[in-house]
Amino acid sequence: MKILRFAAVGVAAALALTACSSGDDSPAETTKPSESAAAPEAATIKLWLNGTDTPDALREYLTTTFAAQNPGSKLVIEQQDWNGLVPRLQTALSSEDQTPDVVEVGNTQSATFTYAGAFSDLTSLYPELGGDKLLPGFVEAGTADGKVMAVPYYSGARAVFYNKDMFKDAGVEVPTTLADFTTVAKKLTTDKVSGFWFPGQDWYNGATWIYTNGGELATQDGDTWKGALESADSIKGLEQVQDLFKTATKAPADSDSNEPWVPFNQGKAAMFSAPTWARWSIDLPECNEGVAADDTSDDATAKRTKQQACNEEHTGVFAMPGLTADSFATAFAGGSNLGIPAKSKHQELAQNLLKIIFSADFQNQLGKNGLIPGNTEYATSMGDDVYAKAAIAAALGAKLTPAAENWATVEGDRILEDFFQKIATGADVTASAKAADQLISDALNK
Amino acid sequence: MSTVSAPTTLGTPAARPTKVARTSSTESGRSQTSKSRRLLGALAVVVALAWVFPIYWMINSAFQPLNKLQAENPAWLPLGGTIANFRQVLDDGTFWAAMRTSLSVVVIVLVAALIFAFLAALAVSRFRFKGRKSFILTILVVQMIPAEGLFISQYQVLDGWDLVNKVAGLALVYTAAILPFTIWMLRGFVAGVPIELEEAAMVDGLSRVGAFFRITFPLLAPGLVAAGVFGFLQAWNEYTLALVVMTDPAQRTLPLWLQGLVESNRATDWGVVMAGSAVIAIPVIVFFLFVQGKMTSGLVSGAVKG
Amino acid sequence: MAATAPTVSGTTTPSVPPLRRRRPKLGAYGLLVPASILIGVALGYPLVRQFVISFQEYGLKQQFGAPAEWVGLQNYTDLLTDSYVWTVIGRSVAFCFVNAIVTMVIGMSLAVLMQRIGRAARITLQVSLLLAWGTPVLASMTVWQWLFDTQNGVINWVLSHVLGIDSMAQHSWIIEPLSFFFVATVIVVWMSVPFVAFSIYAGLLQVPAETMEAAQLDGASARQRFWGITIPMIRPVLSIVLLLQVIWDLKVFTQIYVLQRAGAPTRDTNLLGTLIYSYSKEFGMAGALATIMLVLTLALTGFYIRQMLKEDEL
Repeated sequence: MKILRFAAVGVAAALALTACSSGDDSPAETTKPSESAAAPEAATIKLWLNGTDTPDALREYLTTTFAAQNPGSKLVIEQQDWNGLVPRLQTALSSEDQTPDVVEVGNTQSATFTYAGAFSDLTSLYPELGGDKLLPGFVEAGTADGKVMAVPYYSGARAVFYNKDMFKDAGVEVPTTLADFTTVAKKLTTDKVSGFWFPGQDWYNGATWIYTNGGELATQDGDTWKGALESADSIKGLEQVQDLFKTATKAPADSDSNEPWVPFNQGKAAMFSAPTWARWSIDLPECNEGVAADDTSDDATAKRTKQQACNEEHTGVFAMPGLTADSFATAFAGGSNLGIPAKSKHQELAQNLLKIIFSADFQNQLGKNGLIPGNTEYATSMGDDVYAKAAIAAALGAKLTPAAENWATVEGDRILEDFFQKIATGADVTASAKAADQLISDALNK
Repeated sequence: MSTVSAPTTLGTPAARPTKVARTSSTESGRSQTSKSRRLLGALAVVVALAWVFPIYWMINSAFQPLNKLQAENPAWLPLGGTIANFRQVLDDGTFWAAMRTSLSVVVIVLVAALIFAFLAALAVSRFRFKGRKSFILTILVVQMIPAEGLFISQYQVLDGWDLVNKVAGLALVYTAAILPFTIWMLRGFVAGVPIELEEAAMVDGLSRVGAFFRITFPLLAPGLVAAGVFGFLQAWNEYTLALVVMTDPAQRTLPLWLQGLVESNRATDWGVVMAGSAVIAIPVIVFFLFVQGKMTSGLVSGAVKG
Repeated sequence: MAATAPTVSGTTTPSVPPLRRRRPKLGAYGLLVPASILIGVALGYPLVRQFVISFQEYGLKQQFGAPAEWVGLQNYTDLLTDSYVWTVIGRSVAFCFVNAIVTMVIGMSLAVLMQRIGRAARITLQVSLLLAWGTPVLASMTVWQWLFDTQNGVINWVLSHVLGIDSMAQHSWIIEPLSFFFVATVIVVWMSVPFVAFSIYAGLLQVPAETMEAAQLDGASARQRFWGITIPMIRPVLSIVLLLQVIWDLKVFTQIYVLQRAGAPTRDTNLLGTLIYSYSKEFGMAGALATIMLVLTLALTGFYIRQMLKEDEL
């Protein structure tokens, strides 16, 4: 077997030694870790990315850069669906032969896998990847027992998109406080139009009201977790949520946060809240140039640019305001983490890939594509247009789900979807919160 | 449609009553007037239309552009429709890759399951041996155990043999999963084929293999078809195991592919989703119509004995 | 009359398989080998493992290499002392019986109908049933979701625009558990009836005409003939089809899972199949619940299976 070698960073090599599989007969196994330790055996490594959030150009950058920096090795990116990801990770990560070498996991799924021991310890690599500058909430979600196991890939802060024409017609301005937001949403609501598109199962957006009023989804006391929806602060937020459900939205109670721009595009909603990359999905009828999706002619490209400009002209965006004017709401941050499966046979190559992902170059590209990069230092790469401003403002205060080992159970059982749906259908807030808290506590302390 | 003939029992020796109540006149008596028969016929057509409506709606919606689907009033006929939804679905290379994977899996599963089940059915229906009843009971009871929690262990079995992300691996598990029911169905059927016919043919100079293929096999065909239909459906539809075994996007089966399509179009474009559903339904429907005649006569004895 | 009427199995196959003396008995075992190996490896082993693990604390950690601890009956007692699990069991049994019975009644009616109508009408009915049967479950689930869709579903449109029930315009069918199970029942019955109807129809075709004619000459009315001759004669078909329906309806998973994901409250609509799936991160519990479900199925069908064994219908 021909073994290709190249110089590797000491720390990484040392880590790789402890994780080397027994089948690996490279000298690295027998030599003591040192600055000059052997390079990893050339191999093809697999990266799992979920959904289409990572643009193709970035994927290409990763494969070419990786191949250039790791002669003889190759990076293969396999795209997974978010739906069904957990059972896939659950089985694939436990197999030495099948495991991908780097995986993207949703930030709320992260804790479950880190506590289960699915990922390798990245603590010693952490400073090199960006250390304290990495999105803190995401790092927390990826940390178990004081060890960093998963690091932030990107975050998507939620911002509110609004239809400027509808605002003009209703004579309302961009709201400056959270209470003001409700007032504006109510004014925009008519028989056919939702002031704010707020489907019943959309707890991602609902959490904003809980967090902003100082509430929590769950709190930790020593070793035990407790649902916190019935706390006074949470209830305050939930009552505002119910008010919105009742008076400011026509969205069905049996829908979730998927694709809120569809009713917006159809003129059925004046506002919706979504990660800022939703700007690419806005397609107002008055702007539509009727270009086919697969048309790549110059004419089509020009039309598409015109269409996008028109859409953005008719659409405004702002970060959800906080309790007082000039403050911002604490929104729920979407986004994901990256980890190296413990069973991967190519730990060192996987770390090399992480280093590429956390390079200034790649982080800036994430920002340019509207994703908040894992390393906050590069957030400026998002530019300074309204979208970037709204995104950065929202991201500053953004918060994640509780970093509890069993949080994925709460999501798997869809406790919060059920709960917000109940609120949306007019159930008593306090009683429903109590019942949901019990379920959350049970799930988290299992 | 000529393939859809009234199922008769004449083709199968499993059902050889000398005279069979084939028409309603003997069954329901002479008192039944042709008027009430026409009324019942009309009722049957109404039921048929109600039953087929969801499938009609799938195809109708698949031909509608988005704005018609979201219009105030639904369009009942695909007039002035569009084939854009189908084009979007079929132009996507992933569909054909998934179709290839699914077809390969189904073909392997059907061939393997029918051969193995046939052998086992021969054993339980032509021989009396110790453990026969236990075997039959086992294959019945096995079907009662829910499969939703099994995927982890099945994954580990496949992983141990390096069969993850391989058509063969998925086919192996599917074959095992449908074997109990297939044996169960074929059993009554095989019992109905008179061994004497085969022996007579051998006396006439045919080899055992020749006698089997010339005499017994044609008699068994409807039973094999009826059993095969179930296997086909299960292998074509299975989702939870395929989800964890076929992680390589190039190896997706059709249900995984459809799920992906639904995920990305659910709120947006039901037309595309319907077109996607239609294209995975069509091969099965064609298969069904193709084997229909044999299948119903297969059920005559297959179902009677289980 | 029922006692003297030859059973269908009696007319079609010898109830005792002929003993083939020319071949050694080993041959029988030999024929079973391929199927047994396959079932053993890819189905039997996972089932046994699931059973063993049901006595262990076995979750994600264990899957990633932590040692599994034996906990005896802990998983079982945890489940059986959880009132929610009992709610789900009750719900599943009720759902199973309602669906099995509705399916049998409709299937039987359609089978009888098929027998009493002209060829053209019968073929129309058969083709439409066949189409429903052949449509892959995921495809038909997406269609049914679209039919019942809250905003643009055709069912709401018909109810509000044609029948003038305005409150149904934006009605959500799956948000209330009862209405959720109504929708689920419609879908499950729609998918299951074809098999039942075809099987029973096939059985009806085997009722010998002479018996019916003789009974008619004896002065039996159509109703008497149906209940006195036809039903007893097709009883083997009915038993087996009903048994299969009960087993399948108790295990129902895909239909419920997809409908839940379409926006239904999950906890209020879980049945045993979806509950087991939701335990897939606690494999030990999933195993215990699967075993409980097997026992439950056997309890519901055991008497029936014994009866069939006795009558040698198996």
